[in-house]
Amino acid sequence: MARSLWATRAASYLRINVPCRGFATVLKDLKYADSHEWVRVEGESATVGITDHAQDHLGEVVYVELPEEGSKVEQGASFGAVESVKATSDVNSPVSGKVVEVNKKLSDSPGLVNSSPYEDGWIIKVELEDDSDLPCLMDPERYTKFCEKEDASR
Amino acid sequence: MKKCRISLYGSCFRHFLFISPQEMRGPRSIEIWKMGAVNYLEALKLQEKLTSDRKTHKIKDTLLSLQHPPTFTLGKRRTVHNVLVSEAELKAMGAELHYTERGGDATFHGPRQVILYPIISLRDIGTGARKYVENLESTMIELASLYGVKARAGETGETGVWVGQRKIGAIGVRISSGITSHGLAFNIDPDLNYFKHIVPCGIPDKEVTSLQKEVGLGQKLPSEQVIHEQLVSCFTKIFGYTDVTWRDKTSVSSDGNE
Repeated sequence: MARSLWATRAASYLRINVPCRGFATVLKDLKYADSHEWVRVEGESATVGITDHAQDHLGEVVYVELPEEGSKVEQGASFGAVESVKATSDVNSPVSGKVVEVNKKLSDSPGLVNSSPYEDGWIIKVELEDDSDLPCLMDPERYTKFCEKEDASR
Repeated sequence: MKKCRISLYGSCFRHFLFISPQEMRGPRSIEIWKMGAVNYLEALKLQEKLTSDRKTHKIKDTLLSLQHPPTFTLGKRRTVHNVLVSEAELKAMGAELHYTERGGDATFHGPRQVILYPIISLRDIGTGARKYVENLESTMIELASLYGVKARAGETGETGVWVGQRKIGAIGVRISSGITSHGLAFNIDPDLNYFKHIVPCGIPDKEVTSLQKEVGLGQKLPSEQVIHEQLVSCFTKIFGYTDVTWRDKTSVSSDGNE
């Protein structure tokens, strides 16, 4: 995975557009939203970030707008934004619940979203609400096919 | 085997007639609104309405073509340190200042500057922010080339369109659930003195220029309307729109009604 993420960073830096990126990493233990956010659920807690496919299509992230700790997030609704190449893109929550922690490192190092989208580049941690509709999220195989289909429609 | 043969014949047939996969799926449609001079807040309210309508599929991709009265704007990061005069001084010179949710830094909009605000679905065209912005840059580069001006996209961290070290076109975009708003601003011949009151796009020590300045002050450019239409045509060509409808919307209010 480290090698494919290095390739991701190289492609972004060199402004190379690869129509169907064979090396966009999709992790097996996560669930995915069609707006390209991932969620790792561990009991009543969830960690949320954006996927490798998303960070590649965004370009170099220069700013991350984080929500307040303690605020509510709703599945499918925007909770923050990232800025890259003079474009702000809303980030939507794949789950509903209360934000218990935000990744403060992103304020000084927004590029973690590009270099480590599934680990150091996590964005928020959420205490899940009972009515979080996890089955409507995609598993890794379905998300991979979803990305391929989206890229093919260019 | 029969299915394979049919699909092979199908793809050969398509290639023989030089039909792209996109054309086989059907034309890409957009509606262009020619709006004339529009107050910044009015345009913002209209974009919010159109973005919401596009998200719910009430409308197709739409492009607003307009210009603003003298207006300074800041992006989501609120880089107020890049506005070098007070709001009172800006008001005294007849300009407004607005804080927005778009990407990018401080900029100026005014008469003789073309603004394009595309309200389009990036998901429908499988495009992300980076590729979208590159296409906006290409749109302005293509227009400049119609006048023999060799423009280029900015280096990393200097998104926009440059002629040498002088900036001729700016970009600031918002993407919400895959729908774009805000867009690009291309200098035909605005009063460049206004740019002295900001650090344009947060990049110090770089000049701002215009198409008129680059072709030479003695050279007469076509009317603004012509240049607006040319820029829109560059946009529709680069983004692959084949079904283009033009609407004269000079009397449209911010709620989208005429």
